Amino acid sequence: MNEILESLQRCVERGKVNIKSPYPPDMKGQDGTDELARKALEAGIAPQDILSKALIVGMQKVGVRFRNKEIFVPDVLMAAKAMAAAMEHLKPFFKSDELKHKGTIVIGTVLGDLHDIGKKLVSMVIEGSGWEVVDLGTDVSPDKFLKAVDEHPGCVVGLSALLTTTMVNMEATVQHIKSKHPAVKVIIGGAPVTEEFAAKIGADYYSPDPQGAVEFLNTRCTPN
Amino acid sequence: MMTPKQRFTAALTHQKPDRLPVTTHHVMPYFLTKYMNGISNDQFFADLGIDPIRWLLAYQPDESKGEYYDPHHVPGYLEAHRVTSDTWRIEHEAIPDPRYETIRYKFITPKKTLTTVLQSNEYTSWVSERLVKEKSDIDIIAKFAVKPKCDVAEVNKQAAEFGERGMFRGFVNSFDVYGQPGCWQDASVLFGIEDLIMATFEDPDWVNSFLNVMLERKKVFIQSMKGAQYDVIELGGGDASSTVISPDIFDQFVAPYDSQLIQLAHEAGQRIVYHTCGGMMAFLERLADMKPDALETFTPESMGGDTILAEAKERIGERVCMIGGFDQFHYFKGCTTEETRKAVRKCFEEAGSGGGYILCPSDHFFDADIELLKAFADEAHKCVYQ
Repeated sequence: MNEILESLQRCVERGKVNIKSPYPPDMKGQDGTDELARKALEAGIAPQDILSKALIVGMQKVGVRFRNKEIFVPDVLMAAKAMAAAMEHLKPFFKSDELKHKGTIVIGTVLGDLHDIGKKLVSMVIEGSGWEVVDLGTDVSPDKFLKAVDEHPGCVVGLSALLTTTMVNMEATVQHIKSKHPAVKVIIGGAPVTEEFAAKIGADYYSPDPQGAVEFLNTRCTPN
Repeated sequence: MMTPKQRFTAALTHQKPDRLPVTTHHVMPYFLTKYMNGISNDQFFADLGIDPIRWLLAYQPDESKGEYYDPHHVPGYLEAHRVTSDTWRIEHEAIPDPRYETIRYKFITPKKTLTTVLQSNEYTSWVSERLVKEKSDIDIIAKFAVKPKCDVAEVNKQAAEFGERGMFRGFVNSFDVYGQPGCWQDASVLFGIEDLIMATFEDPDWVNSFLNVMLERKKVFIQSMKGAQYDVIELGGGDASSTVISPDIFDQFVAPYDSQLIQLAHEAGQRIVYHTCGGMMAFLERLADMKPDALETFTPESMGGDTILAEAKERIGERVCMIGGFDQFHYFKGCTTEETRKAVRKCFEEAGSGGGYILCPSDHFFDADIELLKAFADEAHKCVYQ
């Protein structure tokens, strides 16, 4: 593989954002994803190759390592930040349709629940796998989810809850969405959530980790 | 037969009690109102046969430093009467919000007014606007925030009144209005956990300065606890679990601070339980290395944690008392009493061997069936040590 793409992939995996970033300490003073993405484009590497051969591969490795408990939340946050720095350079190519997302996922933490970090982590890994993420934030009402589904035809919906007191609001949200859009796939996750609970409330999938959500999206959700 | 206090004390000091001590974490006002006709904390324990705990946090202003009790503050659930001064005044105002009770707090100092917003529903409260918005805000806190001390006389008065009835618990002081006992955890409440994590990568010196500000306030409080007749006091909080931070962050930004507090607490004659709701398995030895007397909550995988109780017992059971491990989500609601009893028995078999274990839900609960709570307590009564 091209040397720049290899470096770019490694920087995503290690969370190396730019040359000024002091993290990781052993890469101090080296180019990060910001510089390498720019250099890759200047070298004439196709944006699609930058995305699929470097960024997505790097983020996928991060997702797998996180699932295997080899790395922790802060490592994923840094990897996502590095990914985002590279994606800034690719934005114009999405606008011009030279690059296309695999699909869209509308994601949010359900009504009554203010927890953000788990949902954000999942969003980052999904985004890093080539999907467009519409993050509705926290404490999201069923109506707000439905409105977002209306605005993004063909999207998948992701619901997060950290509390046992709020996971019950997942059921109301799933029903609300499916009553109008029965074909929309809903994926759920969060600390107290289980596969059994997903089946009970009519959700299509439960994932205990971000990479599981990515694999579900990539294999079982038709891109829009 | 041991008194509940003797039973808890035996477990906390790694001895065998007469039977498995069984208790809970906080008894939530929501639960008492919804399920038990608003009875008192003490009545909750008496009615259900659960070994009682009582919580108290009592502050003492240092008048020589111009500190006084906030005349506008009425202590809420688990709160101490707030201590303020003319250079650290706390005012609040209600903000209209159709969904939640919303209150903005202003911390007024001669240099700058810091603000935070707290929201509440019937279950709990949370911060919707962080107090520390600029990095220099920690200098304001360092310079002007009061450093409350423990009201030992009040603690001992209530401890004497509670007597042998159970375990008398306190906390290391959290930040005014809303915070957590651990230094890292308190800082995460004030700045936001995600921002704090990112700051450890981008500006670790600032994070250390921030944690030192938290540490200094807590040191004053802990050093003033000498003679307070607590059975155990709580340190820690959820944001230092392995489901939130990494071992590196724990080693660099949690352990160096909280282990100092634990040592000071021991010097003041206090026992410490370190609270970690969330993942613990990746940090078990690290947590024990801080030398707390006990660890909680040992949240099982079925509740979003990662605890394998038998493995935890094997790895650190000789070094600390273990509190928790019970899955209240699946066995306090929606199951049979037999299933609840079986879950109790499983915890006892996995962590009870040789003592040093207190059966407890993995943190507090909001909803529960009374019959299942009774079965929880009753089965624990049958888990007898020979």
